[in-house]
Amino acid sequence: MTTGLSKRNSRAQAWFVFSFLAPPVALYALFVLLPTINAFRYSLTRWDGLSDPVYVGMRNFRSFLAPGSDFIPAIQHNLFLMLVPGVFILSLALMFANMIHQRIKGAKVFRIAFFFPNIISSVAVALLWMLIYSPTKVGLLNHFAAIWFHRTQPVPYTESSRLLTSLVPMTVWSATGFYMVLFLAAMENIPETYYEAARLDGAGPTTLFFRITMPMMWEVFTTGVIFLIIGGLKYFDAIWVLENGRPKTATHTMSTLMYSRVFEQYNIGYGTAIAVLLFLLVLIVTVVSRRLLQREALEY
Amino acid sequence: MFEGGYGIDWHKGVAREYEKSHPGIHINLWGDPRVDEKLKPRILRHNPPEIANCTLPAWKLIVANKLYPLDEALDSPAVGQQITWRASLTPGVLAEYTYLGHSYAMPTNLNAWVCWYDQKQFREHGWKAPTTWSEFTALCEQVKKAGVAPLAFQGKYPDYAWPILLSTYQRLVPFDRWYKIQDLEPGAFLDPEFIHAAKLLQELGVNYFQKGCAGMSHTESQMEWANGRAAMVFCGLWLKNEMKNAIPPGFEMSCFAVPAVEGGKGDPNAVYGGGQENCYVFRESKHPKEALEFLKYMESLQSARTYCQKLDTLAPVQHCIDGVAVSPALQSAVVVMNRSTRIYSDHLTGLFLQFKTVTQDNLSDLIAGKITPEEFAKHLDAAIARVRKDPEIYKPAPMGVPPLK
Repeated sequence: MTTGLSKRNSRAQAWFVFSFLAPPVALYALFVLLPTINAFRYSLTRWDGLSDPVYVGMRNFRSFLAPGSDFIPAIQHNLFLMLVPGVFILSLALMFANMIHQRIKGAKVFRIAFFFPNIISSVAVALLWMLIYSPTKVGLLNHFAAIWFHRTQPVPYTESSRLLTSLVPMTVWSATGFYMVLFLAAMENIPETYYEAARLDGAGPTTLFFRITMPMMWEVFTTGVIFLIIGGLKYFDAIWVLENGRPKTATHTMSTLMYSRVFEQYNIGYGTAIAVLLFLLVLIVTVVSRRLLQREALEY
Repeated sequence: MFEGGYGIDWHKGVAREYEKSHPGIHINLWGDPRVDEKLKPRILRHNPPEIANCTLPAWKLIVANKLYPLDEALDSPAVGQQITWRASLTPGVLAEYTYLGHSYAMPTNLNAWVCWYDQKQFREHGWKAPTTWSEFTALCEQVKKAGVAPLAFQGKYPDYAWPILLSTYQRLVPFDRWYKIQDLEPGAFLDPEFIHAAKLLQELGVNYFQKGCAGMSHTESQMEWANGRAAMVFCGLWLKNEMKNAIPPGFEMSCFAVPAVEGGKGDPNAVYGGGQENCYVFRESKHPKEALEFLKYMESLQSARTYCQKLDTLAPVQHCIDGVAVSPALQSAVVVMNRSTRIYSDHLTGLFLQFKTVTQDNLSDLIAGKITPEEFAKHLDAAIARVRKDPEIYKPAPMGVPPLK
């Protein structure tokens, strides 16, 4: 009797759990898993999206390395956008987080000010910087250059050959706040007693930062680095906006190349092959960087 | 219908008129700026609408047998005229999308590539619209001396320079040589006159395009022109409509044809342009024949007249502008068109989408003086050779110089 009851209870419990889990799992399968599997399938085809796909094996992947391929420059641009702004973002975010953590005067105001760009959508940020960089009368940077340096000719900061460099300050400005808040949260969790003990032993601010702060927040720092790597590999919005939807070989990243191949050149097979490769790259780079940056967890 | 700069009010008006004169027929006409995205799934589901005006790659649709040929209707009497529909159209407008002897696209708009300027500004400075290349560069020098940039350029879209280049090349060579590029003839881009045309374009880019234009979108650069900071801009006839809210009062918009090049062997009056805002009838739609009848009505002389009148632009129907009151800006374009002996256009960038990317990259470098005209020609020749060698890319048979009628 008791066994029967408990069996019925556990079955009811299973149904209860199932009824809650089934809808999100079904939706996830329908909108994420199936399209992902399909993307793998289409990456092995030649398909224009208008007629039937034709199986071509690994040809799309092989063409990434073909002479004159625009994929290699695209991946180089991703690496540039991952590394150059990344170094500035991490350094500045750590510096600002540490300063605010030291309870400098106006810390709260700085925290809000630095985080502010992060609440603006990436497209709005790009539009804002488009105005800053504009070579017309509205361009802030050219305007100041004319006043301060008496420069008579405007510089087209967003022209294709300059665009990647121009993206560095924009990306640093918009992303530093997020990483600062991330690191600051980790710093605030470090018990104050550690710092007090170290200070009693005569440790200065640099020693405190490298011997206590960094080791204690290493896990969060690693997460920050991985976010930056993924962000760099998936870089899209700013280039799309600043290139007015028409990136060139000099400015394409993997994501913009994928989009323009699929939606402008109707080469869906090639575009999805880029998507598949991007997926694998993000996966591999994330795993590898986690392994490389892994340290023994410190508990407190 | 693609709902762009010209809107769809005219189309809707024509549809309602057609319904009145054809009881029992109902036309569900809708527009969207991103109509292509809505059409693609319907084409894949074999459930396309009867007619679409879109920017989907027409050649892919034609080769995939998705479009219905227009010939039967083209050879039937035109609405309200004693001639065939084909004969009522501007010569040459059907040439671009003709495949195996059949026509697949019906343009609703007629475009011409011209150079726009403000007559008032020209009058104030004593400048004159040029007819030859040396007059043109002399004018640019005069403009420069007056502290105004001679030419605005839509630098973010370097393909705006493609029609300038091809028009200049046309001024240099006869049409049988010009069409060799269109027919994918090996080495056609290496023609010394093509390199000469590239050199002339580069000179314009380096010396006379507004400084900083490489970072300007089409609207930004056209604003520079509308505000008088640049004296001229090359563009199609859509410019007036595109900039209608930005053109200041007192601005006297006018245009001149691409100047003839001294010593050139090309026709000095031919105009780079042709049909655009193309309408296609889908083979798999439910009523393709009825759709053809409606399309014929839409591109009749009477409807074309209202099109020109309402939208202040041209339609690809002969005499559609006769007796119609148009703006002085459009009138100046009509003068260019009336003088023209042939309307011609490029189909390479529409046919070979990857080649288009190569032209964009290289035009941008040519204009900035980063590559020589010879290198530019070599890059294009190599890119078109890749197209020629790729068996999977559809290439129409060489057509030579299309007949005028």
